[in-house]
Amino acid sequence: MAASALGQRVVEEPSLRRSVTPWGSFAWGYSDVGADIFVGLGLVLGAAAGASNVAFLFAGIVYVCIGLAYTELAAAYPVAGGGQYFVFRGLGDIFGFIAGWAVLLDFTIDIVLFAWSCIDYLSKLIPVLSFVAHPWVHFCVVLTVIGGLAALNIIGVRESSAFNEIVSGLDVVSETSILFFGFLFAFDPELLVHTMQIAWPSTFGLMNGVSLAIISFVGLESISQAAQETQRPASVIPRSSIGLILTILIFALAYSNLALGMHPWHALPKDALGHTQPLWQYLGNQDNNGAAVAVLASYVPYFGTLAALYVPVLGAILLLISSNSGVFGSSRIAYAMSGAQLLPSLFQRVHPRFRTPAVSIAAFCGVGVVELVFASLPSLSPPVKLVYAHFFRGESGITFLGDLYAFGAAASYSFVFIALIALRLNDAQSPRKFKMPFNVPFTYRGNRVEFPLVAVLGFCGIASILAFTMITHAIGRIAGPTWIVCGIVGYMVYRRYKGLPVLRSQPHDWRKAQINILRAAGELELMDEYLTNVSRMDERAATVNAAAP
Amino acid sequence: MRRMVRSEGYARARLINALIFAALGAAICYRTVAAARLSLTALPGVVLGLALIGLAVVRFRAYARTKRS
Repeated sequence: MAASALGQRVVEEPSLRRSVTPWGSFAWGYSDVGADIFVGLGLVLGAAAGASNVAFLFAGIVYVCIGLAYTELAAAYPVAGGGQYFVFRGLGDIFGFIAGWAVLLDFTIDIVLFAWSCIDYLSKLIPVLSFVAHPWVHFCVVLTVIGGLAALNIIGVRESSAFNEIVSGLDVVSETSILFFGFLFAFDPELLVHTMQIAWPSTFGLMNGVSLAIISFVGLESISQAAQETQRPASVIPRSSIGLILTILIFALAYSNLALGMHPWHALPKDALGHTQPLWQYLGNQDNNGAAVAVLASYVPYFGTLAALYVPVLGAILLLISSNSGVFGSSRIAYAMSGAQLLPSLFQRVHPRFRTPAVSIAAFCGVGVVELVFASLPSLSPPVKLVYAHFFRGESGITFLGDLYAFGAAASYSFVFIALIALRLNDAQSPRKFKMPFNVPFTYRGNRVEFPLVAVLGFCGIASILAFTMITHAIGRIAGPTWIVCGIVGYMVYRRYKGLPVLRSQPHDWRKAQINILRAAGELELMDEYLTNVSRMDERAATVNAAAP
Repeated sequence: MRRMVRSEGYARARLINALIFAALGAAICYRTVAAARLSLTALPGVVLGLALIGLAVVRFRAYARTKRS
């Protein structure tokens, strides 16, 4: 979801310039997914305690399946739009809308959650920004950040793609250094095993941890968002994606194992009751869960002194880029959905002077502000805190945002797996330079197709995470489905008003679309292969029809 | 930056990186199994080690591809 431009001048550029290289493609994805561990680590430690690494492992396996699915689809259909486009193409208009609407929820949460966490990281250097100590200051600063990002996107200020690449490069080096020094000087496998045994959570805690762990892996949309701007996407995307998937998985597993099995360099502060607390507990409490990576880094031997100074700043920059990608991504998806007549044309309206999708940007930043208010209210107003405690198990702040983020991601990824299976069956003629492993070949409607077993595994995994989210998150189970239901009602009203089919899809010429996509991507060999496959399929169909009585 | 990414020195740096990843992965696997034996508790550590080795393989293949071209 990370953007190469703060504000895309929609009208000026009828097609996006293909300037993203393999490293650029990696950096684009990394600056988005890589920021997630900065938010997810503390939340998961707070929920899953001694089983945090198991929670990350479960979510990580699902994430690998999701990553492979996105890689295959983005290489086969290199257009901006991501999951929404794949579902739209594979399952039709209404499911395309639902998937896009779930992605939009994620993008709006992305804006708030990362802006919130960005300020949390800065609060480690500027204590007045602390959410726990000064909730009003924190609220006002996050609100200002969101307003500032919206304004920059409406004005259309460009952010250099090179800036993304440099920040991503610095962050990879920094995170590797933290882990290297941590594992070398402070990691104790005996302590890890001990922590896992004495602090193993309840089943509820483990499910809660798994559902929060998935937020450390959200952002694979960026792989497909980048596809339309990547040179030779069919070759480049699989290469950069596999590296990205492994890197993110390693960071998530390494941080969680380190947090559970590291001896801190300095003594930790005692808890409210005056007891000594282990590192994982300190990282997962409300004071530190928003900036857990910075706190962990500061307790790494030798390197910690330096890390305490720069990790909050580097983390805050990465999180700000990710927050901006939410603003950019939501407006772009809404623009694309509006073009496909899934949303009103209002969302395609551009600012007369700046020529950016100002309505979309303002609308989804507005939704983000509403989410911010809901997340902050319990800390700003004691009576509301009592209401939350009564109805929502006391969930508040960053956990509220994490709930909805997990819900939106799990919902949209579920549809992507089904779309992948549908496209394998119904669009077997589109060449796939990369395929998910472990496929079962068989004949479907006269065509040889391959059924993806990993997609089924991934679907079961993400569906179980969706179920965990609904079971364990009191707010997510109400607000998430409400968002989807309201969206579907709005979609039906809009389609009926426009005289378009409500539950069925409009006719689409996908063959022409695919040829245009491959031609625009410069994948001329694949285009020839596609044309050959299509003509073979037509010949076969004609032969069958001729043979029929 | 892009010129640096395409240079042979960068490819060599990535190869060294791959070797470090592989060594680190093997060490993490060994130490985790030594501490927890072959139990479920060891699983996250072993997967981490294997993922590091996997990343090393990806890096090595990228180096080999750069060398060929």
